Amino acid sequence: MLKYVFRRILQMIPVFLGVTLILFALRIPGLLPGDPVQLIVGERELTPALRAQIEEEHHLNESVPVQYGYYISGILQGDLGRSLQKNRTVTDILLDKFPNTARLAVSAILVEIIIGLLAGIISAVKQYSFWDVVVTLSTSILVSVPVFWLGMLLQMFFGIKIKQWTGGAFSLPMSGMGSPPDLVHLILPSITLASVSTAYVARIMRSQMLEAMGQDYIRTAMAKGLSERVVVFKHALKNALIPVVTFIGIDLGALMGGAILTESVFSWPGVGREIYLAVMQRDWPVVMGGVVVVVLIVMFVNLLVDISYAVLDPRIRYGGTTE
Amino acid sequence: MGSLLEVTDLKTHFHTRDGVVKAVDGVSFSLAEGQTLAIVGESGSGKSVTALSLMRLIADPPGKIAGGRILFRDENVLEMSDEQIRSLRGDRIAMIFQDPMTSLNPVFRVGYQIAEALRLHKGMDRKAANARAVEMLELVGIPNAPSRARDYPHQFSGGMRQRGMIAMALACDPDILIADEPTTALDVTIQAQILELMIEMQQRTGAAIIMITHDLGVVADMANDVMVMYAGRQVEYGTTDDVYYRPLHPYTWGLLDSLPRHDISEKGDLCPINGQPPSLIDIPSGCAFHPRCPYAKDVCRTDVPELREIEPGHSSACHFSGEPEFTRDVMPCSADMEVE
Repeated sequence: MLKYVFRRILQMIPVFLGVTLILFALRIPGLLPGDPVQLIVGERELTPALRAQIEEEHHLNESVPVQYGYYISGILQGDLGRSLQKNRTVTDILLDKFPNTARLAVSAILVEIIIGLLAGIISAVKQYSFWDVVVTLSTSILVSVPVFWLGMLLQMFFGIKIKQWTGGAFSLPMSGMGSPPDLVHLILPSITLASVSTAYVARIMRSQMLEAMGQDYIRTAMAKGLSERVVVFKHALKNALIPVVTFIGIDLGALMGGAILTESVFSWPGVGREIYLAVMQRDWPVVMGGVVVVVLIVMFVNLLVDISYAVLDPRIRYGGTTE
Repeated sequence: MGSLLEVTDLKTHFHTRDGVVKAVDGVSFSLAEGQTLAIVGESGSGKSVTALSLMRLIADPPGKIAGGRILFRDENVLEMSDEQIRSLRGDRIAMIFQDPMTSLNPVFRVGYQIAEALRLHKGMDRKAANARAVEMLELVGIPNAPSRARDYPHQFSGGMRQRGMIAMALACDPDILIADEPTTALDVTIQAQILELMIEMQQRTGAAIIMITHDLGVVADMANDVMVMYAGRQVEYGTTDDVYYRPLHPYTWGLLDSLPRHDISEKGDLCPINGQPPSLIDIPSGCAFHPRCPYAKDVCRTDVPELREIEPGHSSACHFSGEPEFTRDVMPCSADMEVE
């Protein structure tokens, strides 16, 4: 088990280097439009002396591999550079935004788990029933609806229309996040963020559950005299959950990295929106730093998922050994 | 000895898009305490469905027990409430299945899966049930049982898993053990071990066994009675000696002739039954076996032969059974025959 974890961590190194290498290409002059020195200088007049000074400061006069070395050693020391637009370090900015992203991600995951699992289980247990049709249809629609559009529809309905109909008595906040622990602001963005994944969770849960219920060991359990409830919720569910947990785990990794669309639509002050704003302003240290952090988070959460997978499934835990 | 299980005219039908599949169509037999009945037939003859029907384990829909009576200790299983039938399953009537590789739940420990029935039916607490589970594993010949009980099924070999299944089925000391081709998925060397184990366990617990198999050789040493099934119906029913030494039905002759023999066979080469078992949606008219039967006459194509008692306790569903000149010795090898 420990050996397995260690091997998985080693495998993360080339991935990390690859991602940083691609990101670093953003800094190579001529590869992307715009002169980095000009960007740093901004509105000031760019004299040759100032240019030389800036190139010196940012190691831009060095060769590309040396620049990459500076960059990696910076990352390893927690230094992601300084924002070109704000007078703060990128690390500071991201640390500031990350808790908001985590807050949104966790509540979206909760929506996924509660609604997705329940819908999937009901749908499978009552196959071909009215509820199964409702779940199957609505998940098909949800997976194909663009997230930002769903967000806007929810804003329009719960933020504006309901307010009009109830004469201002009821509405849900449609932007910003309030001040924690204000949960009302979380409702619309977390539903929006969770929508597609919830639909996927419900579908995977349904198909896995149906598959598990067709297995021979279910017949064995029935032949033992167990009630249908025990057979479904113990023998079938534990088998069916394994792939679902993997999906949810991987999705948690993705959500922790910030949701650019949802955060932008709801003006949610998270990492995703920060990256989006930085792209618009060509604030490349923030973009690069943001993406590096997102990649690290995703890799770390995936590692946790793989470990939990082994805990859930004894066949993986013991590597299928027969003495 | 009184009859433990009395099945009369059992009919199990499946309603599919293509029509009604009469998987079991009017089967009757009885089983006495501590006896062994073998149900023999090719794939698709309705053996397994018969077994599952006894425990009411047929998925409904599409399956439905359309008629008949199953008396277990004079109580009709088909009229029991769900709760009553559940208290029977695993406790009084237990079952082991064909494929031990898939019949155990991969995510629960073997010992736990055995203990589950004990806790349910015998009201044992976790500790007592686990102790009994280990005892059962020892009984079925699993070495080092206390630690193997904590293993998961994938850590067991095929033969060990089937031993585990037998331990699970016998844990509650059932009156009837239904074994649905328990050796088909196993290595030949292991097959004999498992059969021996079943005989040994039967002597120890006194359970009656319903042994489902397509291998007549398997049942020769074990069974008291044999029921031969074809296309959902029984074609021959009698004691093992009757069916082996004085078989009445051409299908049984075919089954016996298709057994590989190592002594000198008077017919020489292996003699398989030609053709395929019929689709149960489209059962041939008259006698379902007539397209493959070397004796088929006009009456076989039109009239369904009833199961008749030809000699005491030995019945056959063939129009010609009982006629003195109609014996196995005159049967040509059906492999040489053109199938209609």
